[in-house]
Amino acid sequence: MKNVLFAVLTLVYLELSMTVVAAPICAYGQAGCHVLSLVDLFERVIQQSSRMHGISSDLHSEFEQDFFPRENLVGKRRCHTYGILTPDDKENAQRLGREQLTEVILRLLGAWGDPLSQLYRSMSQDQNQDFNHYSSNKALEISDMVHDLREGVAIMAEEMKLLGGLGNTVGYISPGSLVPSAFSFHTQGELNSMDHHDLLSCFRRDSNKVKNYLRILKCTTLPGLDC
Amino acid sequence: MMRKVIEVILLVLLLFFTAHSTGNLHSPPGKPALTSCRSPEKETFTCWWKPGSDGGMPTTHALYYRKESSETVYECPDYHTAGENSCFFNKKDTSIWINYNITVVATNALGRAFSDPVEIDVVYIVKPNPPEKVTVTVMEDKGWPFLRVSWEPPHKADTRSGWITLIYEIRVKLEEENDWEMHLAGQQKMFNIFSLRSGGKYLVEVRCKPDHGFWSEWSSTSYIKVPDYFHREKSAWILITVFSACTFLILTWLLHMNRQYLKHCILPPVPGPKIKGFDQQLLKNGKSSEIFSALVMPDFPPTASSNYEDLLVEYLEVYVPGEQELVLEESKDLHHVCLKSESSTSDSDSGRGSCDSHTLLIDKCGEAKEERRQTDQACSQIRTEAQRRLKDALTHGGVVSSDMSSGRVKTWPSVFSPLPRYSPSPLDQQSSLQMAKQHSLSTSSYLTQPGHSAKEALGQSYWDFCLSGKQPHLLTPQTLVSRELQAHSDVNISSIGLKRAPAGLRSPALHTTEYVGVQRVSNEDMVLLQPVVSGCGRMEGCFQVPQGEVYSKVKGVDSDNVLLLQREGMEEDRCPCVDQETNEETGNCHTLNTVSNTRKPSACVYTAMPVQDEIAPMVNGYVDSATMCTLHTC
Repeated sequence: MKNVLFAVLTLVYLELSMTVVAAPICAYGQAGCHVLSLVDLFERVIQQSSRMHGISSDLHSEFEQDFFPRENLVGKRRCHTYGILTPDDKENAQRLGREQLTEVILRLLGAWGDPLSQLYRSMSQDQNQDFNHYSSNKALEISDMVHDLREGVAIMAEEMKLLGGLGNTVGYISPGSLVPSAFSFHTQGELNSMDHHDLLSCFRRDSNKVKNYLRILKCTTLPGLDC
Repeated sequence: MMRKVIEVILLVLLLFFTAHSTGNLHSPPGKPALTSCRSPEKETFTCWWKPGSDGGMPTTHALYYRKESSETVYECPDYHTAGENSCFFNKKDTSIWINYNITVVATNALGRAFSDPVEIDVVYIVKPNPPEKVTVTVMEDKGWPFLRVSWEPPHKADTRSGWITLIYEIRVKLEEENDWEMHLAGQQKMFNIFSLRSGGKYLVEVRCKPDHGFWSEWSSTSYIKVPDYFHREKSAWILITVFSACTFLILTWLLHMNRQYLKHCILPPVPGPKIKGFDQQLLKNGKSSEIFSALVMPDFPPTASSNYEDLLVEYLEVYVPGEQELVLEESKDLHHVCLKSESSTSDSDSGRGSCDSHTLLIDKCGEAKEERRQTDQACSQIRTEAQRRLKDALTHGGVVSSDMSSGRVKTWPSVFSPLPRYSPSPLDQQSSLQMAKQHSLSTSSYLTQPGHSAKEALGQSYWDFCLSGKQPHLLTPQTLVSRELQAHSDVNISSIGLKRAPAGLRSPALHTTEYVGVQRVSNEDMVLLQPVVSGCGRMEGCFQVPQGEVYSKVKGVDSDNVLLLQREGMEEDRCPCVDQETNEETGNCHTLNTVSNTRKPSACVYTAMPVQDEIAPMVNGYVDSATMCTLHTC
């Protein structure tokens, strides 16, 4: 009995340790691991966010060509992340500071995990063949990216905290606390194409915000040739 | 009447229309349209519209916008900064990630016109200014030049804070060409261009774009001229080309000069067949029988019809008394032959045999014999052997064959000897014997023949040296073999001849002419012969006989057993005639000797002759021992 328990605990520990970080980097400075520098972390994160934004932009443009001639985008509905206060220009973003900026990024990324999954499920299960195979794959890809990016940014934030770039005000933010009540349509049943369109346009914007905020964060933290 | 009414109405209508056409017809303005909105740095943006028809009246345009999720309508804050029919939104009025709903309204006295609303998000309308401070320089990399283009982002775009991220693109072309060469530079602000043409003039332009936005306009053109750098390259290539061409020419010329030698070396000429009688033309044209018949030599192999007698070289002449002249001649020839064959110039013919034989003069001439044997090699030995053989033959046989008288015994020539003179051979037995001997080349065959002569034959290698007078020089083993053969044959011949021949005092074949000097005639009717050698003077009884000068030939033997000597007239004063009988014909001094048969087989080699007292002991003449011996059965 004790042996069985020991084995179960070992397996659980291994699984947890493996699911912490998708990328094989040693964020905690473990012995024997190749420690990534902050610059490398920034590079990876920024590239990931840029890719994510590109894919979402492609999806949106496909969607808009096929189904909507040039309609009013968000006039009727708001994105479910409207509750997250984000700086809307450069001065505001620079005034915000690194810690808050990081927090905003994390919030944004956390808010889009579930909706994107639902979007993918809805698109793949579409019976009337509105979406081709590539669109649903892209939806799946961005939903995975959101998760990976969020974890990466978290690791980067931890690294910055270690280096002293960030204060300790940045805490772990659970995605559940950020979800505004507006975003509850996932419980309303299946998403129609309008919902799809709205989701894609909202996500396109938010991914752009994430990308931009990350760049600002990098250039203020590590000014280099890229900035 | 009706016509007039219609005309008036038409006139009135015309006036009315003209009044309309000539005057300003006021109407509400046409519908304007927003053409584009652009933001250069994602902080401000500008919208342009195109007005519609103004309706003949002064028309004003106004731009109204509404922000996302707000119903407040704002009007454009700045109509002038950006020019005509534009609206400029400054930083204060610009919000990013917010949708703007913009509408342009044209207003005149008669009405208003609304344009279609446009939704824009400033993030997606960014079109930066072109890059600034584009510099192009020519740099070198290991002797090869390249262009280094560097620039700066537009000053308005804030890339330093990371607010905007720009990627750049460069285009290059030669001045005279039409196609540009595009290079995407990414986010770097420097770029190298390789593969330049020497001495070319290049045009370089740069532009930029935010990662999601519009391309900027191309920057102002930068001109650059690449210097000529191919001189040393070309000169080196020219040198190499010239050198290799010269080497090639020289090699070609050398090959051309030596083409014969090379051809002979690489492709050696195939040697043609060197078969005697082989005709290549015949081979190509003719039949096989003709070819092979041509190969056959006419005289090889010798056919059966050839006369074996042709192969003989010499002949042993056995003379009957009627043929003494021939014998003398023959002996003379043989004497000459022997002279030729001998190396020594001294006359070794005369009298040697008498000394060598172990009869009368054996004690006195022993030394002489030795000397002679040493000095005179072949002939002396030959003659010694000949005398011995003759003696033996005579002793064996007892009777001299008379069969030889009529004919000649042929000696055994070597196969390689030239064809001797022919002489008919009446002696069939001899010829047959010779034939048999000729064909068998092994000495054993001869040994199997009469065995008693075997031992004699062995020591007779020198026999034929004088016999084969025509080839005195042949001392090859073949001649030795032939000599042996000849010796064998001779012995056999002699022996056989002795066997077969009935009793006759005529001697069998004797081919040597031995010359002995007649010393004196003993009381016992014996002629003492002395060898004729210069060195023989010491011995008693050996009279010095001049060499080769005075000798007499036995002319014949008459019925009274008298040896008729014929003396040649060399020194007539020294012509002691034992028994002289002048020959009226020749005038020579003849010494007649009689030869009588003795019954002493071994001792008598010399001729025993009835000697007259008046015969002087000195006989300068030579007696042909051959003939003398023939008269004896020794």
